[in-house]
Amino acid sequence: MTEVDVRAERTTPRFEDLVVGDAIPDLVKGPLSPAHLMRWSAAVENWHRIHYDADFAIGHDGLPERVVNGSFKQHVLVQLVRDWVGPAGWLWRIGFQFRGMDRVGDTLTAFGVVTGTRTADGLGVVDLEIGLRNQRGELNTPGRATAVLPLAGGRPVPYPFVPPREG
Amino acid sequence: MDHDDGLRKYVGMRSEPVTACDPVEPGAVRRFVQAIGDDDPVYWDAEYAAATPYGVPVAPPLYVSHVARRPPGTPDPFDRFADQPDLDGSDGAFVAAGAPNTHGRRLPPVDVPQVRLLNGGVEAEFFALPAHGDVITSVAEYVDVYEREGRSGPMVFVVTETTAENQDGRLLARVRNTTIRR
Repeated sequence: MTEVDVRAERTTPRFEDLVVGDAIPDLVKGPLSPAHLMRWSAAVENWHRIHYDADFAIGHDGLPERVVNGSFKQHVLVQLVRDWVGPAGWLWRIGFQFRGMDRVGDTLTAFGVVTGTRTADGLGVVDLEIGLRNQRGELNTPGRATAVLPLAGGRPVPYPFVPPREG
Repeated sequence: MDHDDGLRKYVGMRSEPVTACDPVEPGAVRRFVQAIGDDDPVYWDAEYAAATPYGVPVAPPLYVSHVARRPPGTPDPFDRFADQPDLDGSDGAFVAAGAPNTHGRRLPPVDVPQVRLLNGGVEAEFFALPAHGDVITSVAEYVDVYEREGRSGPMVFVVTETTAENQDGRLLARVRNTTIRR
């Protein structure tokens, strides 16, 4: 196994370079084994049996398989955007719907596309369409996010974050 | 609609503030980010974090939805499996009293006949990240409750907003969860 420097690639994109339609780097999780779901359920102490108990999920609840936790999926979407904005940017808002179930064995690809850019209060504001798609092509978790980036030569994004005054 | 009028009474109900039984622990954050597969060193590396705007190691922003766990010394919900082997493990007794991710179960329950719970989605706004050692307190409020016709009959949508802050009163996040009862 190669040692990976997890610090090496963390940068913040230049706001001025962004164009509507730009894709941000995908984030892939999976294939998600039962062990992945057990590890997540234990980490957040969520004991809903449809995530880790196959007899219950299939035999009792009539599901095709154990289902991936919505809470797991939401944090993957958060990671997608936070990895992209880097240490000098800020994930301000995120929203998504759980429209369908992803299940054991699935591989989830988180994606994002720039849908709008604007400046406000000396900062760059970026709207994104985001989502999680499985290997069958099902988009069960569509959403959107708003990130804030510094402008070239501008002020840093405040921390704690203060939303920019718009207009 | 008459039924909607019955549901409207929940809108605006707020919970008492609930404080997590543990501060934001490095070990709990480690297990959390390892279970997601998130390698951002800001979640554990103090030297790295010192060079970021946060200054100290932190937890991911939606960690606030999971900090309130079952306090020690409280009844073990797993004991109920002995008499009720078909429990699905998702009802309020299985999760921490007051956990923001329990979709408002520490609020007065919305009294409808639909028993199945679906996690409909989330709208969140972030202001600061939980720092290791922070003690997080949250308040939940019903911001919308309404009925819609679904394929298998009427469904009730319950929108709960949870506001989380740390021990200094610093606002960390506002998180809206939609729970669908059907």
